[in-house]
Amino acid sequence: SSSEHKLNFKKSKEACLSYIQDAMLQKQWKRAAEFLTFYIESLEKDFSREYVNPSEMIWRIGSEILCHHSHSSMKEFNSFTEQMKTLGVKRYLKVCLEHAFHLLCNGQIDEAYQNLSMAESWRFGEQTAIQDKEMKLVQAYRGLLDYYSWSKQKNILLEHGLDGFEDLSVEQEMHSCFRKAAVNLKEIIKVPGVWDFFVKCYVDLLEFYGDHNEARQVLNEYAYNSKFPANPNAHVYLYQFLKRHGESKKSLISALKILHDIVPSHELMIDFNTMLQKSKKRKKRRLGLEVIFAALDYAGWKENVKAWSCLARQVKQIVISDKHLDWIKQEWNSRKDWWPAFHFSRYLAKRNWQENKSLSYEKALVAGILLGKDCKYFKYVSHQGCKAQVKRFRILKKFVNKHNLVYVRISG
Amino acid sequence: GCWIPLLAPQDILYRGVLRRKLRTGKSTATLDFTKQLGHFFVDHPEDAFGSLGQLLHQNFYLGNSKLRRRARDSTIRMTALMEEIDRLEARRGCPRQHLVPRLRWFSHLCRDWLFEMPLGLLADCVHEELLLQWADLLFDDSPTGGALAWLPPEEMGARTGRLVYPGGQAMNHLYFQDVVLEELPRARGSPVQFELNGRIRQVAAARVDGEDFLGVRSDYHCGVWRVPGRTGAAPTPLQVIRTDVPASCLTVSPHLPGELAVCTQSGAVYLWSIEAGLQRLRHDPQTMFFRDHSPWRWSDFTAHPRVLSCADRTGLQCLDSRAPERCHFDLFKVGEEAGCQQGERVVLPMYLGRAHPSQHLVTTQFSVYVLDERLPMVPMLKWAHMMKAPPLFAHLTPGDPGRSHKVLLGTSHTQELLLLQYRGGSQSACQLAGPPQKLHSIAGCLHHLPTQLPHRHHLLQQRLSIPAAGLAAALQEDGPRESLLVFQLSEAGDIFCQRLTHKAAQPPAPTTGDKATKPPVPTSGDEPAAAPGSSPLFETPAGSPLGLSNEEEEEEEQTFYFQKRLFTRKELETPAGPSALHQQARQRLRQAMREGGCIQCWDLPAPRPPPLPQPLEP
Repeated sequence: SSSEHKLNFKKSKEACLSYIQDAMLQKQWKRAAEFLTFYIESLEKDFSREYVNPSEMIWRIGSEILCHHSHSSMKEFNSFTEQMKTLGVKRYLKVCLEHAFHLLCNGQIDEAYQNLSMAESWRFGEQTAIQDKEMKLVQAYRGLLDYYSWSKQKNILLEHGLDGFEDLSVEQEMHSCFRKAAVNLKEIIKVPGVWDFFVKCYVDLLEFYGDHNEARQVLNEYAYNSKFPANPNAHVYLYQFLKRHGESKKSLISALKILHDIVPSHELMIDFNTMLQKSKKRKKRRLGLEVIFAALDYAGWKENVKAWSCLARQVKQIVISDKHLDWIKQEWNSRKDWWPAFHFSRYLAKRNWQENKSLSYEKALVAGILLGKDCKYFKYVSHQGCKAQVKRFRILKKFVNKHNLVYVRISG
Repeated sequence: GCWIPLLAPQDILYRGVLRRKLRTGKSTATLDFTKQLGHFFVDHPEDAFGSLGQLLHQNFYLGNSKLRRRARDSTIRMTALMEEIDRLEARRGCPRQHLVPRLRWFSHLCRDWLFEMPLGLLADCVHEELLLQWADLLFDDSPTGGALAWLPPEEMGARTGRLVYPGGQAMNHLYFQDVVLEELPRARGSPVQFELNGRIRQVAAARVDGEDFLGVRSDYHCGVWRVPGRTGAAPTPLQVIRTDVPASCLTVSPHLPGELAVCTQSGAVYLWSIEAGLQRLRHDPQTMFFRDHSPWRWSDFTAHPRVLSCADRTGLQCLDSRAPERCHFDLFKVGEEAGCQQGERVVLPMYLGRAHPSQHLVTTQFSVYVLDERLPMVPMLKWAHMMKAPPLFAHLTPGDPGRSHKVLLGTSHTQELLLLQYRGGSQSACQLAGPPQKLHSIAGCLHHLPTQLPHRHHLLQQRLSIPAAGLAAALQEDGPRESLLVFQLSEAGDIFCQRLTHKAAQPPAPTTGDKATKPPVPTSGDEPAAAPGSSPLFETPAGSPLGLSNEEEEEEEQTFYFQKRLFTRKELETPAGPSALHQQARQRLRQAMREGGCIQCWDLPAPRPPPLPQPLEP
């Protein structure tokens, strides 16, 4: 009967697909290619309402096979992709974009550029929201390629500029690249999303032409617009921009403060702490202590000598001045039940001593102050240090012994 | 919130055999209810009607002789009734069968008082249980996480590690077996054994301060063991907790010794510390992001030792154990942001801290995602895994700086095993390195074994097609030669092992010839297309970076029985060419497609027998 026929056709289609998949996952590209040629017949009766329909499947599988097949060439890949573009209208832009990526990976930058330009001029019926988004992406990537040739020409000019040589045509072309790139890059970064690469390029362009206000506005928008995902990189770019332009400490600090709120474990927290420690204001130094404590909460910072030396320096300062011990007390309060096991175990004392003496020095100082001279970490490290006759460990021991009562005050 | 249709087990069982059967209407959940109850009455008479039976047993007579007149006042003769029942049994299935009035009268008379537990209530319970078991048959999430762990040797050069796995008829024995990594891994000495009072569902391990902490989950009990780093040191049980509702997750902290995360099916998440006891972080029978009736919950650790991730089928949240109500953020949500499909659900989350301190893996029945907790909700990497069943097991082997991280994914019923490699996360974007690779399934090793007598072959086939129960991997470095040993546990308690040998990619060699003839193919260094600067708008933003990835794992055929020695061990030959069955299938397919697609008897192998541990003579 016809229904049975349909069912069996469907079954063999599924089986064929699973064979292809199997072959691909075992890197048997030739076998996969053979099965794919059978699978193409499944297009004949494609009534499927599945998430990924056969024509999309063929495109995805086909390009993957052609990427790996030992006998395939760029020419074959191109002709396959051209066919795929006509196979599904809804997918046209996506296929174009991936085609361009493939060309770029093979160093064919001009072809990729042409491809993207062609895709841009493509129109089909009424544009849907998805198509609109994809079109913006196509334009953005073309803008990126314009940026690329702009920066190439810029380098030529800069090099030759040193020789006192000027080429008007190169300069003109460079400016036209700039205009083309700027228009497209500006569009994409208006759409909420993560556009790190595009933003960086656009800001670079603007900065080169001295449009700092626009650049600042773009970065501010990227960092603070609540429609965008909370992207820590956005704040990093803003901070770097402000730093490049010699902005006041105050604005640098406020940029980093937000970064600290989003990602307390960011690498820039060391700079932030250093900046805050130098400040004359009490509130800022207090924040600095908070920042460095918070960073050291994270597993990725456990062996960061810089961070430990920042903390050691600040803790030492506070202990010597005997002011603001309550700051340490407050920070220590939420950590005293797990930092000893996390940072100051005997096992870690041994390992840190073996692997990194300066790390163990900084940590021992902090441990000695926070936990007293009888804590395992301090005891082990100072003992080893004195045994090895290293001067600074002897001074460390003296210092901790002298301030041994601090830990009673901060943990009380 | 919006209403989304409930997730039936069928949805999770993506394209499974049972699902197809259900759709074609060939089989339905047949619940022979009376029979189930009958079994219960016969098997557990004390529980069914103990007290009244004892009270009344003077008043019932089962003998053949007639009752005396005096006894007749207080005793009923049941013999006739018994005979009626026997006769009824003989006529079972007869269309004209009808209940004998006497039986009907008796059951009517005593149904209200005879049973220990009211019959209606009991029936409800049985019904519920049967449905639950049927759902389990379709998709059983209790082994999520896997019950196999590898404890690597403490010193880098040492070769003796430990495998921890369940065994025994009821899978309620926990074994710690020393294993020496040599040409073939070799068990050393006999395993240390612990008997537990429940089927072991999950074994999780983490190393803190040179000691291994091991969490063991069964339905109503969770236990923790400590294994000192020295080889030969005995594992010590530390603590056990009992739960009223089955536990669905147990993970061990990689940061602090003796800390674990426990979830139960009632929606509770606990931080379990050996010293401080249990701390409940959350209790919510509702799912987080939209309504989904799955009681499954999961929790794992994050880059911050005080912050835990909590997951249900709809997504992941991170919460600070110091203030779980106030401090939390969404890490992953099934929905448009991550480009999820309809019906997509979280199957297994895993903290990838050993690869990168802020990365997490999330698998669904369709895709795998790599997430970064610094930029939550935006997946760093997404890849459609196309596995036939949802991946319940995952294992991470972190790579040294500059090398790729290897993630193994495993399924239970279909025994699939997939290796993917990725790199990046801090300096560069996350990218898959090279195409993913399928590893051998347990059932696949059958045709590498010596020829057997037919009945033994059949037994072996059954034994080998039992669902997988866990997966682990060990990195073995012998000077320049580096390999990854992949262990797989089956629900029968057998452990299988295969070795992947590392080979740096060779320059493209056009002379390789027909690759299809040699299943494990040498790969060349060609690369898939990559996007310059990945954007989250696209589902597969990047293959591999430009000119990177000169490293791909490659497989060598080395599958062997590990735990129970069924055969004398010997080098197994690599197969030449696709199997006969495969070629046959291929031919048939080719022909069918030419003729317009009608294939007779194209059925997949019959569904596997229920996963009962089946003893096999040695």
